[in-house]
Amino acid sequence: MRSATQSVPEFLHKVAFLQDLDVQTLSILTPLLVTKKIKSGAVIFRELDASDALYIVEQGGVVVSKHVAGEVDIVLTRFHPGDFFGEMGLFDSAPRSATAHAESDTVLWRLGRDAFGRILSDHPAMAARICYRLVMVFIRRLRATNEQAREAIRWGLEATGYSPEETPATFGRKST
Amino acid sequence: MAEPAKLELLTRRPGKPGFEIHEVQSLQAYLGFRPGRPPETEWELTPQPRGLDGSRNYILKSHKRDNYLLLSPQEYFLWEHFDGHHSLNEISRALHFKFGSFDFEIIRQFLGKLYLAGLLNEIQTTGLRRSVARRHERWWEGPFAAISKYWSRITIRVSDADHYCAALYDRGGFLLFCWPFLVSYGALLIGAIIAVSRLWPHMVEIAGRVAARPLLSTAIMLATIVFVAMLHVLVHALACKAYGRKVREMGFFLLQGLLPTFYADVTDIFLSSRRVRVMVDLAGPMVEVVCGSIAFIGAYCAEAGFAQSLLFGAGLVLWESALLNLYPFNFLELDGYNILADLLAMPTLRQRALALVRRLPHRLRSGKMPDRAEWIQLGYLALCLVSVLAYIIAHLDAIGVELSVRRAPP
Repeated sequence: MRSATQSVPEFLHKVAFLQDLDVQTLSILTPLLVTKKIKSGAVIFRELDASDALYIVEQGGVVVSKHVAGEVDIVLTRFHPGDFFGEMGLFDSAPRSATAHAESDTVLWRLGRDAFGRILSDHPAMAARICYRLVMVFIRRLRATNEQAREAIRWGLEATGYSPEETPATFGRKST
Repeated sequence: MAEPAKLELLTRRPGKPGFEIHEVQSLQAYLGFRPGRPPETEWELTPQPRGLDGSRNYILKSHKRDNYLLLSPQEYFLWEHFDGHHSLNEISRALHFKFGSFDFEIIRQFLGKLYLAGLLNEIQTTGLRRSVARRHERWWEGPFAAISKYWSRITIRVSDADHYCAALYDRGGFLLFCWPFLVSYGALLIGAIIAVSRLWPHMVEIAGRVAARPLLSTAIMLATIVFVAMLHVLVHALACKAYGRKVREMGFFLLQGLLPTFYADVTDIFLSSRRVRVMVDLAGPMVEVVCGSIAFIGAYCAEAGFAQSLLFGAGLVLWESALLNLYPFNFLELDGYNILADLLAMPTLRQRALALVRRLPHRLRSGKMPDRAEWIQLGYLALCLVSVLAYIIAHLDAIGVELSVRRAPP
């Protein structure tokens, strides 16, 4: 684990919630980020863990899943270099809603809630830009979640033989 | 059809690091699905007479939803195996061993039927089916569905019909089916035949008096037809009660989406014998026969005049109505069709015949000739076509004669 240097890593320019920030502003943010190396298969955080940071993926991949039963989770989404996750932890202190595993050897940059609090108080203009982009990402992810819910229901219907294409008819006799 | 839905599952082995990701298609789960029948108190199954091909259909009634399903031999086999212990994979193999080559789609369609009827354990249908289906609909399906919806609203239902019919039957309706009354229907028929034969030589004068007051004649005839049609349906329902079965509902609807008519839903008679069904089918047209007979006898007894002509005309219209109702080959599911379908043990004869026509070209191209039951279905369709054409030609001919008479110089 090491602190980020003053120089701004190239991949940060591609991170969605930082895209409105210029190099100068990014250089203010970069020292607040902390890198973490995670081995393939290791848990980054578990569902119901305390939640206090957002993570940006620099290298590798992350799979986020939610517990279903026993040792089985359902995969919710995956994150690749340039993506970020765990953003809910910046705003509320509720436990983690899902588990994040490293799918391969992964390098993450962590933005803690304390650091984000300092940005909000010391650099309100930068915070506003970040928050605006975060809201846009929330909206996109909410839409994706709706679609995912629809797919899950479709899966359930298909798995139980319930076909929406069919219009099965009951039998009857109406004497006229 | 859309691609099968997929779920990604992440699994861990207890005490071991790491995880595995599996992609599970809905089809995989479908094969492992173990459909289960509800408890026997929620349904009733009645075998039907064997058809010409030796196969036997079954009627499955859902007590919970009060609806009925017609099960083919294959569907009956599936129903017997839907015990919650056998997976669809096992059941489909068993079905294959039992019936040889068959279309596996039958399982999916049958499951759909059971869902609709509420005859599968723990799974309830919701409006979801429509909302999922809506994503795939074509541009014209929306407006078409809206028109169909409003068109289908031209329906009046009395859902508590069984209660009223039972009360009416107990308060005298049963008399209609007693022997003295049945004998009197025969006597009326004989009397009517004699009356018609006596009045027939005066047909021109009788018709002339009706034609002289066309509006009044038409109005009275229409009122008579509507009244007798209501009576017809009521007697169907009472006949159903006479055999101890339930009348699900009565009302007014568009037969096959086109023909406005009164109806009594007597599906419950499928839980009785074939003879009972035929008797219930015959009870309705007997109303037209009896009322027509009374009208003919009334015309014979009346003095020559407008009233006599009207009575004679009403008799003719009612007898013709009974004949049309009992004639099975007109594409309509009237009483004659129901009797034919019962006698052939093919309760869905018309639908099966129409479905056969759609797939017949493909069948013939693949060198597969129709079997005995299919020949009967084709014969039914051919007779329907010939009958309808003959009916149209006869009426065009009559119109032609009428026009030529009007154009002829006096």
